[in-house]
Amino acid sequence: MSKLGRVVEAVERYNGFVEDEVKRARSDKKFGQLMVDRWNEIKAKIPVGTAPTGLKLPRLALPEIDEAGDITRYLLGDGLPGEFPFLNGAYREMYLEPLSQPPVETGAYEKNGHGGKAKLNGSKNGAKPQVTEEPTRLFSGLMLAEDTNERFHFLGAHQRSKRLSTAFDGPTLYGIDSDAPGILGKIGEGGVAVDTVEDMVRLYDGFDLGSPDFSASMTISGPAPIIMAMYIAAAKRRFGNGIVPKLRGTIQADIFKEVQAQNETIFPVEASLRFLTDMMEFTTREMPRWYPVSISGYHIGEAGSTPVQQAAYTLSNGFAYAEMMAARGLDVNDFGPRLSFFLDCGLDVEYIALTRVSRRIWAIGMRDAFGAGPKAQMFKVHTQTSGRSLVAAEFKNNLTRTAAELMLSYMNGTNSCHSNSADEPFTTPSEEWIRLAAHGQAILLDESGIFKHTMNMLSGSPGMKAVERAVEAAILEEFREIERLGGVMGAVENRYQRSQIQTAAHRYEQQIYNGTRPIIALNKYRNDSEEMPEFELARTPRTKQQLQVDRLKKFKAKNARKAEQALAKLAAVVETDENCFPALLEAAEVCSLGQISDCLQEVVGRFRPMV
Amino acid sequence: MAAPIRVLTAVPICDGHDSAINTINLEFIRHGIEVVYLGYHRYAQDIVRAAIQEDVRAVGISSYNGGHVEFFAEVVKQLKKCGADDIKVFGGGGGTITHDDQRVMQKRGVDKIFFAGTSLTDMTQWVRDRYGKASKRGAGKSAEMKLARKLTEIEDGYANGKRPKKSAATKTKKSPGTRVIGFTGPGGAGKTTLIDELILRLLHREPKARIAILSHDPSVVGEGALLGDRATMINSQDDRVFMRSMATRGQAGGLSPATEDCLRLLAQSGFDYVIIETVGTGQEAMPFQSKLVDQTVLVMNPDYGARLQLQKIVMLDLADIVVVNKSDQDRARTAASEIERRLEQNNRGQRLLSTVAKRHRDPGVDKLCNLLTQDLAPAAKKGGKK
Ligand code: B12
Repeated sequence: MSKLGRVVEAVERYNGFVEDEVKRARSDKKFGQLMVDRWNEIKAKIPVGTAPTGLKLPRLALPEIDEAGDITRYLLGDGLPGEFPFLNGAYREMYLEPLSQPPVETGAYEKNGHGGKAKLNGSKNGAKPQVTEEPTRLFSGLMLAEDTNERFHFLGAHQRSKRLSTAFDGPTLYGIDSDAPGILGKIGEGGVAVDTVEDMVRLYDGFDLGSPDFSASMTISGPAPIIMAMYIAAAKRRFGNGIVPKLRGTIQADIFKEVQAQNETIFPVEASLRFLTDMMEFTTREMPRWYPVSISGYHIGEAGSTPVQQAAYTLSNGFAYAEMMAARGLDVNDFGPRLSFFLDCGLDVEYIALTRVSRRIWAIGMRDAFGAGPKAQMFKVHTQTSGRSLVAAEFKNNLTRTAAELMLSYMNGTNSCHSNSADEPFTTPSEEWIRLAAHGQAILLDESGIFKHTMNMLSGSPGMKAVERAVEAAILEEFREIERLGGVMGAVENRYQRSQIQTAAHRYEQQIYNGTRPIIALNKYRNDSEEMPEFELARTPRTKQQLQVDRLKKFKAKNARKAEQALAKLAAVVETDENCFPALLEAAEVCSLGQISDCLQEVVGRFRPMV
Repeated sequence: MAAPIRVLTAVPICDGHDSAINTINLEFIRHGIEVVYLGYHRYAQDIVRAAIQEDVRAVGISSYNGGHVEFFAEVVKQLKKCGADDIKVFGGGGGTITHDDQRVMQKRGVDKIFFAGTSLTDMTQWVRDRYGKASKRGAGKSAEMKLARKLTEIEDGYANGKRPKKSAATKTKKSPGTRVIGFTGPGGAGKTTLIDELILRLLHREPKARIAILSHDPSVVGEGALLGDRATMINSQDDRVFMRSMATRGQAGGLSPATEDCLRLLAQSGFDYVIIETVGTGQEAMPFQSKLVDQTVLVMNPDYGARLQLQKIVMLDLADIVVVNKSDQDRARTAASEIERRLEQNNRGQRLLSTVAKRHRDPGVDKLCNLLTQDLAPAAKKGGKK
């Protein structure tokens, strides 16, 4: 049995335990009284806040129950916010406005932010609220490193904390050098071109990489260990070796979801996982502030999975990573807190509770199947609203869709959130629509009172509970199927997740076009006379693309001899069972991304795509 | 019954957005179209080579990561350069392809772009209307294209119900030096991966060798098929490899009615190796009746079931080489020893090999490659004149 089987057992056992305790609270007077007392104590301690209208409200809402069994079921089965099994929230107060302080500008709920509350407190040491606004998330990457660097500085100009999120261009995502034949037109498109450590230096030039206010996020998975090595190499060039333990950030690096949904795997799966684990082992030991993997359901959802499939595959991938790390002899309490998640939020009814249930399953699985302590039980999640739910027809409706999804995301207590722009179906978002997307979040969190005054708005409601139960049961059923196929790896080799996702995607599109899934302005209330809007597309000029090629060639010529040695050494280490990340670090100093990918592929082979 | 429409679909280089094309593939095959799917992250050159070899009516491209104007145009240009401008190019990319883009693309020879919001039925109908009509097509400029078009002629002949007349060619022998190898085995045994790994080695060891592959996927008469081997056979997308994907079009046994004639044509076309792969079959019978096949390889999965079932696998008595692939799996050693005993009893000099084809540089595959390239032993030789 893989660990996933144990997780299923753990959740079943925990659910059984809760019901046993409910019975005990009802039959055993003393125990029952204990629970009632605890309940009353909790209620008595809840602070009361005041809404701008003067209305007084408790900061934590609890269901109106007073019977020992019901209380027990709530406290053990759901848990209070910030308490095991974390159904109601990873933290106690999440987005609540701090008590007896003027409302502060909340700012970025960007990726990698995991302590929702801390972030919402805004500026450190209680400085007065700022009037300038912070964009929601700085997901950025365009043309060459210096162009993206300029954009980073522009976007971060008014920010106290610099949290950069980097998008890479296609060749980089696939580990291909800019001077490779046949890809010139793709350089700098959809993200930034990074070939060498020198590009990495340019990319984050002017930012203090070791500052506690700085964090870098890199959205890349196939060649993630190589890019990570380049990032470290660049940091060392600028700040010396002492910088390494101070580096903060996230690299996506999630290989399982690449194989299942995003299609950017470049080495055979097992080799990819080995490189990933080598890197995670290194960061766990040497870079305690780094998140070495962002376990992503977003791409699974966007590839067309059902919400349940998304949660089930993401969670099971997460447990598989935990199993791999544990097999390396790493302590679950060291690596567990460095695992973070990234989910999709669309409009299907499951999304009312999907993150809540995921948090619960993760916590129980980590505690009972992996022996994790509280910090490693916590499911910390970044949510992005669904891009696929946004359509071209009368695209301004996408604002409403995104707003509804944002609402669902925050109802689920996401730790951070990215809202898509309404022009999502057409192009890399333009500033006009990015601004509106960011404002959507501010309107929900700052302007509206929905999330400011009371936690637990919907916790314990019958509808929420019904969805939670149905979703949890369906996720466990998926786990069982994966387990039957030999765990995550076995299921991957059987194309299980891929074929499930493709079937769901096909059904989704069929439902749209046979009218059973209404999409407003597309198949319902359609306006056929509508002109398709034309957007200006961001394009990288040929001269820039050529510049990247030229300087890469120079770099290669300059480092030719050293590169050869570094690659030979790297290849030799990869042949052994040793951790190859240190050799990768050396190679990253003098080799290009493509040189390193090629060298690794020489030893371990190329990824054979799955259809 | 008219021959099914054949199209090739793919996603451009540095692009992994395959959700749309997967759905479209499924929709096409549901409506009787045969789809050769090349996969995502594909160079224009690979698309063009495949389109010509497979001799499809049209190429459907799904592009999302930008650069579509150039990419589609490049495919059109390269097709034209090869004299294959009767292979049309169409596609889509949701909202990323604008109306302005489309106008430019059409000027550069792209047939049609489907915008976001087009219904699946409309797209399928358009493809059937547009590419379903019989059209006059040239014999082809290059030898490769001529060969591809002749294969189509044979296949279509069978589909139209009239068995093509035996031409003089039918009687002539193989080209000198051509070795024909047949691969068969149950679904999921890893035949495709194994063959592709073999191709990698052959191309490497014999820098001049030219190889043909005839691969099969199942289909029912009157329905479409997903011919997806090319997507996983990354090493076989090479100028020295001629690959052709065929649907079985209702014939049982793992091959198509047209296979024998197609194989004969390939065997006469000067290739060093001709490899033919069956659909994953039940192994109750020998799929290769052809005298043309020099060696047959049966690829097995270690978990073929209980020993009783082993008795039913007639192919075990007929294959020249038996390969237990996925031999890293639990049951592999038991499987190998069971099969070994059976082969011993046959006493025909059959060879048994264990491989892990998915493993890079697998020594088992190296051995298989050796066996398939060394001179044929008289026992294994079947009719093939060398
Ligand atoms: C789903 C999706 C993803 C999924 C892809 C999953 C998968 N396996 O396919 C994930 C999350 C992994 C993803 C990742 C990325 N994505 Co994306 N993604 C999308 C999204 C939301 C939907 C595309 C889709 O599949 N729609 C469903 C299909 C069925 O419908 P449709 O697109 O309307 O297409 C219709 C027709 O055009 C037609 N059609 C389409 N193709 C073809 C082909 C043929 C032959 C025919 C006949 C018809 C046809 O069929 C459809 C039915 O009417 C779009 C935005 C959007 N809302 O459109 C962005 C989008 C395409 N992605 C984008 C980007 C930038 C990326 C990334 C590069 C981001 C990054 N830097 O990391 C990565 C790259 C991934 C990769 N490997 O290449 C950009 C592209 C920007 C641009 N070109 O200017 C978009 C537009 C979003 C945006 N505005 O930024 N993405």
